[in-house]
Amino acid sequence: MATNQTSVERVDDAVVRSFARAAVLAALMGAAVMVGSIPIPFSPVPVSLGVLVVYLMGLYLGPVWGPASVGLYLTAGAVGLPVFANGTSGLGVLVGDTAGYLWAYLIAALVIGALIHGRGQLENPAETSVPVLAAVLLAALTIIYALGTVWLGYMLKLSTIEALNLGVVPFIPGDLLKIVAAIAIVKGGRIDPT
Amino acid sequence: MLTYEPDDTFAHRLDPRTKLAVQIGFAATALAHPTPWALLVLSALTGLVMAGAGVSLRRTLVAYRFALLVLALAPVLSGVTLGAPWFDRAAATASGLASYRVLLVLLVSAAYVRSTPVRDSRAAIQRTIPGKPGQLLGVGVALVFRFLPVLRSDLRTIRETMAARLGTERGAVDRASTIGMLGLSRAFDRADRLSLALQARCFAWNPTLPPLAFSRADYPVLVVAVVLACSAVI
Repeated sequence: MATNQTSVERVDDAVVRSFARAAVLAALMGAAVMVGSIPIPFSPVPVSLGVLVVYLMGLYLGPVWGPASVGLYLTAGAVGLPVFANGTSGLGVLVGDTAGYLWAYLIAALVIGALIHGRGQLENPAETSVPVLAAVLLAALTIIYALGTVWLGYMLKLSTIEALNLGVVPFIPGDLLKIVAAIAIVKGGRIDPT
Repeated sequence: MLTYEPDDTFAHRLDPRTKLAVQIGFAATALAHPTPWALLVLSALTGLVMAGAGVSLRRTLVAYRFALLVLALAPVLSGVTLGAPWFDRAAATASGLASYRVLLVLLVSAAYVRSTPVRDSRAAIQRTIPGKPGQLLGVGVALVFRFLPVLRSDLRTIRETMAARLGTERGAVDRASTIGMLGLSRAFDRADRLSLALQARCFAWNPTLPPLAFSRADYPVLVVAVVLACSAVI
């Protein structure tokens, strides 16, 4: 047995709290992808509530723990937890054709967290106005689409238009719906992260 | 579904870090060389890897069926043109080869998933990534594995309760936001209880890990990983 001779170094209470939320939300993301996903033929990414959880991670965990939570989700999927679209897993998915969307979640959560909370303390996102929330979430969605499309086109040797037709156009209505849902959740005010 | 299965294959005996290195090397070279000859060699290698981990090709293809649909669709989409000659065979071939390499990368990673338990992956993460980020990533991944079934059943319960109360008759936005809000508030409740439990159990930056050691079988496989990674830049 390997033993550690050094004394125990406790993790700070505030870090434990944020870390626990990040870990549980990463699991929620996996659960949302599984339970809520409806595969649609002729399109690579099925309609799932996964992206909604990415928005919520940015909104409720902030610019540090939001991307950390996405990172935990991606790592868990890479080492074998079936949390990616349609119950797949493995490092291969993180370099495969739809990998651009997955990596973009990291940046999306970071951007949402940074624009809503800034660099200081976490604030209650319910205090942000609806137009600002909508603009921030649309910006995040644009980042996800842009990175996802570029990678899809590169991996499958498709032109930008072809990649957009395969990986973006079929999902626009569903993704806009999820932005509206995220705003409704925030404005519902039932959850206060502070 | 593709998950870890206890077995005694060659891959099961390897150190997880070796297997991660092989995947990275394989992906790098597959991305760099989408040519028929390179893909032929890589296909043979994929066959070896899958045999070495006892992975069933049929079951893996079924697990990745939705990804396969896209991979099959891409060459068609790439080949079809508006106007003469209606089908551009060169573009379709290039896209087909590109799709095929993605399939090979997916199959190789399936071998890792089947042959590596979470505990080993966690130890590999914590030993490879230094310091506090590695610790949090390792513990976090273990927690995600633990909480996924719990939160999945939370979401199922929410959906079934909504269906029982004719929630399915409501608009899509209403349904998504109800599921999201209830799911999130339950997740936050669970997270707060988890953080209390972690504090009560003296959650530390330096816990004791399971031992990992390279065996004799690891070294030749590591050499393969390095050769694969180097072949990406040739």
